[in-house]
Amino acid sequence: MSTRGGTLTRLGSRLGILSRVRERGGGVGGLALLFMAPAGLVLLIFLTYPLALGLWLGLSDARIGTPGHFVGFDNFLSLARDQVFLLSVFNTCFYTVIASVIKFALGLYLALLLNERLPLKSLIRAIVLLPFVVPTVLSAIAFWWIYDAQFSILSWVMIKLGLIDHYLDFLGEPWAARWSVIAANIWRGIPFVAITLLAGLQTISPSLYEAASLDGASAWQNFRYITLPMLSPIIAVVMTFSVLMTFTDFQLIYVITRGGPVNATHLMATLSYQRAITDNELGEGAAIADAMIPFLLAAILFSYFGLQRRRWQHG
Amino acid sequence: MTNVTRRDLLKAGVAAASIIASPAFAEPEAGAQLRVLRWKQFVQGDIDLWTANTRKFTEMTGIKVRVDTESWEDIRPKAAVAAQVGTGPDIIIGTLDDPHKFPDALLDLSELATYLGSKYGGWYDPCVAYGMHDGRWIGLPQGAAGACINYRVSHVRAAGFEEIPKDTAGFLKLCEALKARGTPAGMALGHATGDANSWCHWLVWAHGGKMVDAKNNVVIDSPETVAALDYAKALYPTFIPGTRSWQDPSNNKAFLAGEISLTNNGISIYTVAKNSKDAGQQAIAADMNHTNFPIGPVGRPTEQHLLLQAYAFKYSKYPKAVQEYLRFMWEAEQYEPWQEASNGYVSPPLAKYTESPVWTRDPKVTPFRDVVKGMLPNGYAGTLGAASAAVMGDFIMVDMVAEAAAGDRTPKEAAARAAERAKRFYRG
Amino acid sequence: MGNAIPRRLVTVYLPLLILLFVLLFPFYWMAITSFKPDAELYDYSHFNPFWVVHPTLDHINKLLFETSYPDWMINTTLVAVSSTVLALLCSVCAAYAIERLRFRGAALAGLAIFLAYLVPPSILFLPLAAMIYHLGLFDSDFALILTYPTFLVPFCTWLLMGYFRTIPYELEECALIDGASRLQILRKITLPLAVPGLISAAIFAFTLSWNEFIYALTFISSSENKTIPVGAITELVEGDVYHWGSLMAAALLGSAPVVLLYSFFVEYYVSSLTGAVKE
Repeated sequence: MSTRGGTLTRLGSRLGILSRVRERGGGVGGLALLFMAPAGLVLLIFLTYPLALGLWLGLSDARIGTPGHFVGFDNFLSLARDQVFLLSVFNTCFYTVIASVIKFALGLYLALLLNERLPLKSLIRAIVLLPFVVPTVLSAIAFWWIYDAQFSILSWVMIKLGLIDHYLDFLGEPWAARWSVIAANIWRGIPFVAITLLAGLQTISPSLYEAASLDGASAWQNFRYITLPMLSPIIAVVMTFSVLMTFTDFQLIYVITRGGPVNATHLMATLSYQRAITDNELGEGAAIADAMIPFLLAAILFSYFGLQRRRWQHG
Repeated sequence: MTNVTRRDLLKAGVAAASIIASPAFAEPEAGAQLRVLRWKQFVQGDIDLWTANTRKFTEMTGIKVRVDTESWEDIRPKAAVAAQVGTGPDIIIGTLDDPHKFPDALLDLSELATYLGSKYGGWYDPCVAYGMHDGRWIGLPQGAAGACINYRVSHVRAAGFEEIPKDTAGFLKLCEALKARGTPAGMALGHATGDANSWCHWLVWAHGGKMVDAKNNVVIDSPETVAALDYAKALYPTFIPGTRSWQDPSNNKAFLAGEISLTNNGISIYTVAKNSKDAGQQAIAADMNHTNFPIGPVGRPTEQHLLLQAYAFKYSKYPKAVQEYLRFMWEAEQYEPWQEASNGYVSPPLAKYTESPVWTRDPKVTPFRDVVKGMLPNGYAGTLGAASAAVMGDFIMVDMVAEAAAGDRTPKEAAARAAERAKRFYRG
Repeated sequence: MGNAIPRRLVTVYLPLLILLFVLLFPFYWMAITSFKPDAELYDYSHFNPFWVVHPTLDHINKLLFETSYPDWMINTTLVAVSSTVLALLCSVCAAYAIERLRFRGAALAGLAIFLAYLVPPSILFLPLAAMIYHLGLFDSDFALILTYPTFLVPFCTWLLMGYFRTIPYELEECALIDGASRLQILRKITLPLAVPGLISAAIFAFTLSWNEFIYALTFISSSENKTIPVGAITELVEGDVYHWGSLMAAALLGSAPVVLLYSFFVEYYVSSLTGAVKE
């Protein structure tokens, strides 16, 4: 695991070699530019420029094809009064927080289980990763079918078990729909969290646990004072990714509910698509997308600073 | 005897002359290929005949035509993109006033429209409003996916009514009685392009409310609208729960499952039930009937129907082939069999097509026949254009009725909110 | 000790089995629906939904012969392979530059690339759409092949940086002193040693590309140009009839290539996930 400190040290030791190589001729600078060029070009043209363009579009009244004029913060002001937009912000935060917390808990739990001595470990690990590998949209289609108001297998089973007496309208009632898509998101996200945390668990030296058990530590104390702290850098990275991907989720919602019922599952990403493409209000849609950026920056900074502090604790 | 023969001759002569005198858009480009994007069918016979007719066209002219289908909702953005980007299907058969969003990108179909109008008894007024922009035809109305009140005869009778009341006050009483007997009504309040729009617009217009006046000023925020919303508030409890999230197929499913006894819909419910192999479905078909919407305090019909129209783009490489294909599909030899196979799903835009036997052979289909004649365009009472299309696309009318009916907002607040939303499109 | 085994059963095996069942069930449901005839599909009172009595290939037939599914399959594959190749080319060079060439600002470049991965497609898709329209790439595979690398390159670069780092620099140093050019070193020494990393990166990139949806939905319009996810969602619902059999068949067949690839290269998959995160 490389740390920034480690990088700098290695950089320093390389500098000695580097200066010797440079003396032999060969513009490392020019060569580096050449090597970075393909990636740099792709990212500059199709990532950096669009990012700036997206910010500009959010400040304009553009439509598809027509460039539009600069309108300042008009879009944002009107969004601030827009009930559907505000609802989408709530939905996105709710969806992200709930799904991430549960994904973390279940993912960690699964990682702990997988860390035990088990037969067929490779096979089990392969099975666990499956929801992550299969394209999200295609598994979303399966969930769409599982949640069907008339033919849901979940309802059928629950009725057979006597738990309910009529088919649940998973996707027709606002709160039911919210929980349904959260469940689908959790299902999809657990593998990523579990497998990466498992890798982290496997780097924790068993000697630590041995020493602790000699001191009479319980399983819970092991977990709280050894496992968690050792894992926290990885947890921070994994959860940052997970939170980012959940916050900006589009596919799952679009397939299963398209944002309904009555906008109850509209996330900012799906609302942005609807306003920009379906309603042909490109400027407003871009503004919605731009509105996601502060939240994302907050999440990244939060985990970055959290990560730094933990690194300090390791000394 | 001689008279008849001469009249026959005359008829034949006129027919022959009209074929010979067909306007010269019947000279399609050599090697033409067409791409058509049309709305997804609800009735199997519809797409079967459309495909068969298209194949006939290809055999006759050698022009290959590819027909793709997508849902109404997905066509709208595709049409906008195609218009702006300058590439896409040659012909789109879509809905309502979408062509008015980008009239400059569309081919002038005036010659074709005039020809068809004069040959088939004239276009109904709403078709002229939808098809024409600034004095030229930019869309060729195909008809409307007509909507009527679909109801279970036995349930209505059991509730104490011989037929659906012709006024809104009586209609409310009927729904209350149906609910009391455990055979409730249900009408869509989700973003159902066909069903929700049709009854929500009808409701507000029936009480005198409207989105804009003749000068395109937003006037939805009015006492008449509030009266309509009060009515909706009284009507909503008589519905089966869950209608707030209903899409277009939802009421079909519910009616066919026997969960509701009354809804507004096209002929698709009846057609599916009638053609089903299942005895239960056939029983429903036998027990159901259709009637037009009741009349509100304004004293005249105020119906909204989903108008379907074809439009073609200037960027098309084969504009003559486009017009020839449209002409071909709209001619009686093709249109009438297609109308027949659709079992009346599309109510005709031209007077002559109401004479087809499909409309009278089964009396349950007849209520759909004339809906295009008297319907009101969605931009009522203003003009059709980008603003009216945007208001429709954003479901402002439907959301307003849904909010008021379910109690999310008071009727006054809901109407005010709708006005605020509409003004963003009607500004300037 | 006799009590420990049943306890493990309850605390380890049982929860594990439950979790595995939950993770696998949607796939089972997907598969079984693909082969169940309509009569059984919509009739739970006569047919237990968990089994198939008369499996049928009807849905798959309908999918393959009555829709543009074959076109979608070709498009998806073409786009995935092309964008993976393009992304790998960019990533290998960039990773090598950052890790080996140690130019001024290499650390910054590394950080920039890492940050690039954090920019979500749902923010970029609108300005990209505007650009795609402008460049005349709308509705063509190129729109996707050129835009997919934006999320493939950062990840692959990052991954490959990790792999290059594990190759002892001394090997290259010797070659350098002997007068070999950078390109020769890359080709003859570094790359062969980084093959596991390349495979991991390629497989992951292919999967990410196959999984992409919002760009494909926005940039592609015509039926025959669509990718599998977009086509399945937009074209298999007819009016008010959801053809669940065909929808599930589409999902099943669409997942097959990626799952197949995955089953042969599971280890590379896991290492790419964990390798990336460990950085």
